[in-house]
Amino acid sequence: MANLKEWIPLMLQGCGLTVKLFFIVILLSLPLGLIMTFLYTGKNALIRKILGFYILIMRGTPLLLQIFFIYFGLPFVPKIGAYLTINDRFTAGCVAYVLNYAAYFAEIFRGGLLSVDKGQYEAAKVLGMSEVQTTFKIILPQMIRISLPAVSNEAIILVKDTALITTIGLADLLKVTNNIVNRTTNIAAFIVAGCFYLVMSYFLTLAFKYLEKRYAF
Amino acid sequence: MKKMIEVRHIRKSFDGLEVLKDVSFEVEQGDVVAILGPSGSGKSTMLRSLIELEHIEDGDIIIEGEALCSGGVYAPKKKKKAILGKMGMVFQLFNLFPHMSIKDNLMCACLCANQGTKQELSQLAEELLAKVDLSDKADAMPSQLSGGQKQRVAIARALMRKPDIMLFDEPTSALDPELTKEVLNVIKQLSEEKMTMLIVTHEIGFAVEAANKIIFLDKGYVAASGTPDEVVNNSGNDRINSFLDKVM
Repeated sequence: MANLKEWIPLMLQGCGLTVKLFFIVILLSLPLGLIMTFLYTGKNALIRKILGFYILIMRGTPLLLQIFFIYFGLPFVPKIGAYLTINDRFTAGCVAYVLNYAAYFAEIFRGGLLSVDKGQYEAAKVLGMSEVQTTFKIILPQMIRISLPAVSNEAIILVKDTALITTIGLADLLKVTNNIVNRTTNIAAFIVAGCFYLVMSYFLTLAFKYLEKRYAF
Repeated sequence: MKKMIEVRHIRKSFDGLEVLKDVSFEVEQGDVVAILGPSGSGKSTMLRSLIELEHIEDGDIIIEGEALCSGGVYAPKKKKKAILGKMGMVFQLFNLFPHMSIKDNLMCACLCANQGTKQELSQLAEELLAKVDLSDKADAMPSQLSGGQKQRVAIARALMRKPDIMLFDEPTSALDPELTKEVLNVIKQLSEEKMTMLIVTHEIGFAVEAANKIIFLDKGYVAASGTPDEVVNNSGNDRINSFLDKVM
């Protein structure tokens, strides 16, 4: 109990960084993924090919490798490395997560888009709605609703993936916990950290369940 | 009588399969035209071509004297939009917007097109919902309605734009007999108001009763056309008689 009183304030500090990283990544990768979806399903074949390749790389290689590449690797890119260097560890981590998660969200939204019935486009067309109006008023709300369960799943994975930021030396929840275990040799701190992740995931699940119910049709 | 629709020698293929081979007909103001024919005869494709849900490859489509398509070439965008605005369409599977209330389903497109203030459109939506006997469902969601109610909402939604011509693509095929009657009553009511209508249907009884003209399509051609009596009772066409034997 005495240990807990000492650990929890430290862990809450680490949790702060974890939560900050989570919200920055969610807030940036969701709209970026949405834009990618529309470009990927659009009419321009070149953009489709480029995005297809991008999504293949992002989904086909480990997130940890991408974090390392962006933080440690970019400065060594010939000629332009100096311009690509991100010195701030947190910013570098955010960039890697956002680029990775946007690719996953793009695929999730693409699935949602393909699930919207063709009749919805036809109904909008015969009612005289323009393509832009159809997209924003008819298709997008349905696509987002259809995608919510998969987005929820991915968001919960992100909560746990935030622990990878430890590898570039940032003091997130896992790093703080690891330091406590190293210092005290008491592995109970890992269980406490596990509870922190569990609570965050639980509240996230509740939030998405609310959204699913709120926007049910 | 004013010609509302003139279709001349239209052709349409899907991946090399010619669905409409040479279809021509005319519809006058106030006509209620039932389009009959076996599955795969091109009925729905023909109807969908009229409102540009399918692009024809050749032929002319003239709506109220204005060419939507001439020799397979469509009118410029602005003109096309004006011509298409004269028609409303009702689908077999309703195609209501599931994320909007019934009233919003009716108002959405008109609001987007600035066809009136929100208040005016709200009033029009309420009038049309009353017309299809669904005043109490204005705030309901489509998922809370029966099939027949959904189809009546779809009709009211199409009427919001005050079309001169209504196209119905098998409006009762997804409904059981009781719900079918609800929808057919609304269509009959429209025919009494002299709305020009084209209805692709398998309801022969309804076609005979409500339509003043029947077009029978078979294998991409108009096999027969005329009054219900001419087509259904006295056609002398073996293909039509065989079809009627199966569906009646």
